Amino acid sequence: MPTRVRLLVGTTKGLFTFESDAERRDWNCSGPHLGGWEVYSVLGDHRQGGRIIAGTSHTAYGPSIRVSEDFGQSWRQIAEGPRYPAQSGFALNRVWQIVPGHPSEPDTLFAGVEEAGLFVSRDRGETWNELDALTSHPTRPDWFPGNGGLCLHTILIHPDNPQRMWVGISAVGVFRTDDGGETWRSCNEGLSRVPVGTPHPEVGYCVHKMALDPEVPDTLYMQYHQGVFQSNDAGESWSPIEDGLPGERISAELGAPFGFPIAVSRSGDLFLVPLESSEQRTMRDGRLLVYGMRRGSDRWEPVGDVVPDEPRHVSVLRDALTVDSLDPYGTYFGTTSGEVFYSLDGGVGWDRMPGQYGRILCVKAWIREGHDAA
Amino acid sequence: MRLEVSIPPLLRDCALGQTRFSITAGTLDEGLQRLFETYPLLRVHLYDEAERLRKHVLIFFNGESIAWLDRLDIPVRTGDRLTILQAVSGG
Repeated sequence: MPTRVRLLVGTTKGLFTFESDAERRDWNCSGPHLGGWEVYSVLGDHRQGGRIIAGTSHTAYGPSIRVSEDFGQSWRQIAEGPRYPAQSGFALNRVWQIVPGHPSEPDTLFAGVEEAGLFVSRDRGETWNELDALTSHPTRPDWFPGNGGLCLHTILIHPDNPQRMWVGISAVGVFRTDDGGETWRSCNEGLSRVPVGTPHPEVGYCVHKMALDPEVPDTLYMQYHQGVFQSNDAGESWSPIEDGLPGERISAELGAPFGFPIAVSRSGDLFLVPLESSEQRTMRDGRLLVYGMRRGSDRWEPVGDVVPDEPRHVSVLRDALTVDSLDPYGTYFGTTSGEVFYSLDGGVGWDRMPGQYGRILCVKAWIREGHDAA
Repeated sequence: MRLEVSIPPLLRDCALGQTRFSITAGTLDEGLQRLFETYPLLRVHLYDEAERLRKHVLIFFNGESIAWLDRLDIPVRTGDRLTILQAVSGG
């Protein structure tokens, strides 16, 4: 069966898809799809026979979820998408994350939204309901938006236990459920609070992105506002993993290094794209350096100088770095200046996709086996 | 009477791919009701959770924003226009 590889790239001005075979040397670009819409989240769902699900939004017209059954050629808007009830007082501005449910729940999808909340669909994305225990958490009045908004941007599901999930909310922190979303508790021990202006000690933790270890289920990794952390106990506690990274840890309050995305390969290799600082939020000295920590190592290395001959004073956003599931794995990221880069050798050597696109919000790899009809 | 409706191209997938179409209504109020009954996805993009017109959306009846009108039970005459616009909000 032939393998088709698609890279789904969401931008502030629509979605682009890049398609290749398992070699991933030659890519065909298609798009813009959903032109004019922000695409903060996208999922290629192989469980649904080749469905792309995109979280679209617009400053004037608000958010919605759109699906394509033909690899982006045509789209249908979901009529009963995520929406807060009027009495909640919450506004739904964007859909930051769409993930598939546990493999034992093939019709389930989860969506993380701004203002922060978690929605679930049990019918392949046609209707959505809020898991409102999260926004009913006693700390909710003290949730305070970060620079990117009050966004729930990360949803992780335990591979062996569909009842256990983690979510990450910017400037608020990590929450975990062990009962499928009926109850939630904060999991921020070991992280230092950021100055959010609200006093509740349980929240005020600026998680930028989290990833789940592919082999050790209760091990998580996090790019935090003030450093990079690991938890070996399902988020009960977090410890810094920063050896080799640029940017000294100055203090608990003024920590470094700074960045947004973190991604992990199926073999356990970790990747980051560190930035200069919270104030500057661009590549240090204009060098587009990707850092990696190989499985078994406890030290980060600058594995790839992506564009060694030219400066790139850009950023890579929290959902714009990903790793595919092939062997050898491909690593991909998109920049805020609209370039897409990929590596097929563990992040050492990099190629650039032809073209320049809008500000890149998310990059997701989608592997499909078999012949595609469209 | 037929009310001529125009919507922004970005919202055409809320109205079966159309940006211009007509609806039949006796009054402006009835026309708005018919519009959202016929194309419920439009309502999602024009009104927020609290049923307030979104901040950057304008609905014009002929030459006037409906927000400026004292009442919406205005009789519709042939050739009346209902235009949905994105407010110019900088740029």
